[in-house]
Amino acid sequence: MTFDSIIIGGGLAGLTCALTLAKAGQRTALVTAGQSTLHFHSGSIDLLGYDEQGRTVLHPLDAIPALGASHPYHKVADVGALAEEAAGLLASAGLPMDGTAARNHFRLTPMGVGKPTWLTLQGLVQSTEEQTLPWREVTFANIRGFLDIPTEFLVDNIRRMGTDVEVKHFTTPELEQARRSPSEMRATNVAKVLADETSLRRVVEAIDALGADGEVVLLPAVLGMADARTESSLRQLVERPVRFVATMPPSVPGVRLQSRLRQTYQQLGGMFCASDTVTGGCFEAGRLRYVTIGNMPDERLYADHFVLATGSFQSRGLMSNYHGVFEPVFGLDVDAAGDRRAWTAEYVYDAQPYMRFGVRTDERLLTCRGGARIDNLYAAGSVLSGHDALKLADGSGVDMLTALQVAHNILEK
Amino acid sequence: MDMDILKEYDVVVVGGGITGAGTARDCAMRGLKVLLVEKYDLTNGATGRNHGLLHSGARYAVTDPESASECIKENMILRKIARHCVDETDGLFITLPEDDLAYQATFVASCRKAGIRADIISPEEARRLEPAVNPSLIGAVRVPDASVDPFRLTTANVIDARRHGADMLTYHEAVGFVVESGCVRGVRLRDNHTGDTFEVRSRMVVNAAGIWGHLVARLAGVTVNMFPAKGTLLVFGHRVNGMVVNRCRRPANADILVPDDTVCVIGTTSDRVSFDTIDHLKATPEEVDVLLREGEKLAPALAKTRILRAYAGVRPLVAADNDPSGRSISRGIVLLDHEMRDGLAGLITITGGKMMTYRMMAQLATDLVCRKLGVDKPCLTAVTPLPGSEKPVAAGHTSRRATEYSTHAQEGRHGTMTRLIDAGSVETRALVCECEDVTVGEVKFAVDKLHVRNLINLRRRTRMGMGTCQGELCACRGANVLCQVARTEPRAAEHDLAAFMAERWKGARPVAWGDTLGEAQLTATIYEGLCGLNRLCGDDKKIAL
Repeated sequence: MTFDSIIIGGGLAGLTCALTLAKAGQRTALVTAGQSTLHFHSGSIDLLGYDEQGRTVLHPLDAIPALGASHPYHKVADVGALAEEAAGLLASAGLPMDGTAARNHFRLTPMGVGKPTWLTLQGLVQSTEEQTLPWREVTFANIRGFLDIPTEFLVDNIRRMGTDVEVKHFTTPELEQARRSPSEMRATNVAKVLADETSLRRVVEAIDALGADGEVVLLPAVLGMADARTESSLRQLVERPVRFVATMPPSVPGVRLQSRLRQTYQQLGGMFCASDTVTGGCFEAGRLRYVTIGNMPDERLYADHFVLATGSFQSRGLMSNYHGVFEPVFGLDVDAAGDRRAWTAEYVYDAQPYMRFGVRTDERLLTCRGGARIDNLYAAGSVLSGHDALKLADGSGVDMLTALQVAHNILEK
Repeated sequence: MDMDILKEYDVVVVGGGITGAGTARDCAMRGLKVLLVEKYDLTNGATGRNHGLLHSGARYAVTDPESASECIKENMILRKIARHCVDETDGLFITLPEDDLAYQATFVASCRKAGIRADIISPEEARRLEPAVNPSLIGAVRVPDASVDPFRLTTANVIDARRHGADMLTYHEAVGFVVESGCVRGVRLRDNHTGDTFEVRSRMVVNAAGIWGHLVARLAGVTVNMFPAKGTLLVFGHRVNGMVVNRCRRPANADILVPDDTVCVIGTTSDRVSFDTIDHLKATPEEVDVLLREGEKLAPALAKTRILRAYAGVRPLVAADNDPSGRSISRGIVLLDHEMRDGLAGLITITGGKMMTYRMMAQLATDLVCRKLGVDKPCLTAVTPLPGSEKPVAAGHTSRRATEYSTHAQEGRHGTMTRLIDAGSVETRALVCECEDVTVGEVKFAVDKLHVRNLINLRRRTRMGMGTCQGELCACRGANVLCQVARTEPRAAEHDLAAFMAERWKGARPVAWGDTLGEAQLTATIYEGLCGLNRLCGDDKKIAL
C-alpha cells in the first residue's frame, strides 16, 4: 500500500497532523496502538501556562520567545498563526472551545486549582482569574458514590477562592444499577450509562429536584464521550446554568477530543489502523521507504512522508531500560542523559530531567538515526525533546503546534 | 485515634514495631496496665522494612544453630496464633551450578539437628513445585519457610493488647525519662504532631525501639552498643514465585526471594551505616545492582518483571554486652536488665533478634517485668490466637461474583475481623484501590479500628497503594474518603496526599527505568499536570526529604 503520509501515533499530535494532511487532500494512514494521554486529559489545551521560573504566564504569545533554546516552539515558524489554525481545526471537528492565544484563562482542576490554559471545551468551568471564579455561590452536584472527583479538595479550594459551595448528591435508577459492580463508577462508564435520552432525562430531573441555591450547578464531566450533544442538551434541559469540572482519569472530555478528531479524519477518507503497531521500517539513502505493521505482517506501507507522534515514556513512544533511553520503533537518536542517576530528581515535584528527554530533531522537525538525518521522517508532540510539559504546562500546545508545523513542512515540500 | 491516658502505668513500652506491640500484648494479657508509645506510625522501623519472611530457621541452621531452633519453634507457633498473617508457601533452598553441592548435605544435617524438616528433592521436582525457579539448578531442599505480613502481625498484637486494657499513643516520642532516686519512674513524651511534651509515670519502662533503642537508652544515661545494619530490598510488580526461594549456601546478599501477597520481594543487602542516616534511609544504585544481579539467579523471570520500588530497613545489631569495640556482634535476642547492668532500676531493653522471634522476645521481656513487679502470671501468647486468627476464615470460596472479590482480599488481610467491615451498602462496597481491592468500608474499618489517620497508615494496614499502580488513582480516592471518614481538614489531607506521593516516588526512583519510569510519568501527569497538586503543596519539599 502506498500513501502520501503515514502518521504513527493516535494521540493529540498524531490526530492533528493526520487530520491536517487529510484536509489538504493527502492520502494518509494513521497507525495507533490504542489509548493515549488524551485519556488523562483535562479538556483544555495548554499553550504555555508557566514560564521557566514557574511564574504564571498570562500572555503566552509574548512569553514563548523567551523560552530556552531547546524548546520545540522555536521550530514552529509562526506560533500565533498556527494557534489560530489549531483552534479552527478543533472547531471544525465539532469541538467548540473558548479561549485565545493572546491571553490565558484558567481551568479548574479536579482538585480545585486554577491552572492557566489556552483553549477549554465549552461547558467546562473556566475563569479569567487564577484565584477567583466568576460566581458568588455554586452548587456542586456529585453523583452518589462517584469517587473519581476529590470532592473535599475541590470544595475547599473553591471556597478559598471566595465562592460559596453547596454540595448535593443525586442518583438515578440507571446509575444505581451501574454502582452494583464496585468498579463501574469510573467517569467513562458513567458516560456510557448516561448516553441515551431516557437516562439523561432522569439525570435532569434529579438535578432539578435538588433545589440548588447556587448561581450555577457544577457537575463532574461525565457526559458525552462521542460528542458534545449529551452535555449541551443537559445544559439546555436543566433549569439552572450548568458547568462541568474535569474528573480523575479516565477523562470523558479527553475521549471526546480523541473520538471527534478521529471521526473527522476518517470522514475525510483517512485510513485509521487501530490497535496496531509499527513493527519496523526500511531505510534507504537517508529516507524511510516503508513500514510494516503488526496486523498485516506481509504488507509494506510505503509513503513519501512519515510522522512519529508516539508520545513520551508514559505512552511508550520513548522507552528506557537499565542501560539507557531509546526510541523503540526505529531506534532514532534521542536527547537523554546517559547516566541513569541524572534522569530523575529526588523530590517528586521538582523538575524531573527525564521530562525533557525525547527524540532529537532538526529545525524542520526531521529526525535522525545514527547521527544522520532522515529526510522524510518527522517527529511531533510529546516524543520531542527539549521541554518539561509538567513544569511549563505546554504539553497539548506542543502536541498541536508541532503537529501542524510538521504538516506544513510536508505540504510545502 | 487519640485516647485518654492514665496518670500512671505499670509499664510503658517504647517502640511501635513488632517487638513493642508483642511486649505490650504480653504485658496486658498478664494483667499489667500498659501504655505503648511510638514516635511515628506503627511498623515504621525495621518491622515494616524487611522481607516478610517467616523463617523456618534453615537459613541459620549451619551458621547459628541457636537462632535456627528459635525460628522453627516460633514459625510453628505463628502459623497457629497468626494464621491470617501467614501464607504457608514453604520454601526451597536451591543449589546453582556455581554453588558447591556438597554444602547441601551439611545444610540438611544442620536443619534436622535444629528440628527443621528439610527434604532433598530433585531439580525436576523443584521446577514442578516452583515453575519460576532458575531451571539450571542442580539441587533443592524443601523447608517450611513461609511468608508473613508484618503490618498485619503488628496491628493484630496492638488490637489484642488494647482488648486487654492497654493504651497506645502513636506519633508520640520518648524524649526523656522521669528518674527519681536512681530509678526510672516514667517517660517524658513529645506529641510529634503538636510538639507538646508531657510526662507519663510508670513502674517500669521497656525499651523496645529497635535500632532507635540505642538512642532511647542514652536518654536514660545508659549505653547499649548497637550497630545499624542497613538492608535494601526490591519489590517486583507481581508474584513471580509461589514459594520462598533461597540459595543453599552460607547466607549472603540478595539470596532470598519471598512471595508477599500480590508481589514478591528480593533481598537483602547488608551494610553498616551511621546513626544519622537511620531516619532517612535511601536505596543506592549499587545496592539495586546487586539485588538485580543476584535476584535473577534465583528466578530468571525477574529480569523481565517490572520493579515497583526499592526500600531499606535497619537491623538492630547489638554488641555482646560490655564489649565496647563491637567486635562480637550478635544477631540473637538481647535482653538487658539495666538495674543489674547499670544500677538503673525500672528500665529494661529488649533488642536484637528478628521479626520472626518477636513473640519470644516479648515473652522474655515480660517475664522480667513480671519478676520485677512481683507478678506471677504465665505467658499465654504462644497458645492464644491473635485477633483475626481465632479460626480459619471460610475456605474454598466458590462464588465468582465481582462484588465478593474484595471480601476475599479483606479476609486475607484481616482474617475473622473482616466481619467488622461494612459491606452492607453500595457506598461501602465501592472500590478505593483496584489493585488491592480496598473498599470504602475497609477504609472506615481501618480508621475506626486500626489506628489510621493518614494515607501512609492506611497503606500499611490495608495495602492501598502498594500494588501495581503504586497509588496512581487510589491515592486521590483514598485521600478523599479518609478526609470524610476521619474528618481531616482538606488542606491537611492535600499535604498528606503530596507526602504519600513523595514517599511512593522515593521508592520508585532508585528503579526508575522501563515501565516504572513510564508509570511515574503517568502519575506525575495526573497529580501535577491534570490536578495541580504541586501548586497546593509548594512548600512540602523539605518535609518530604
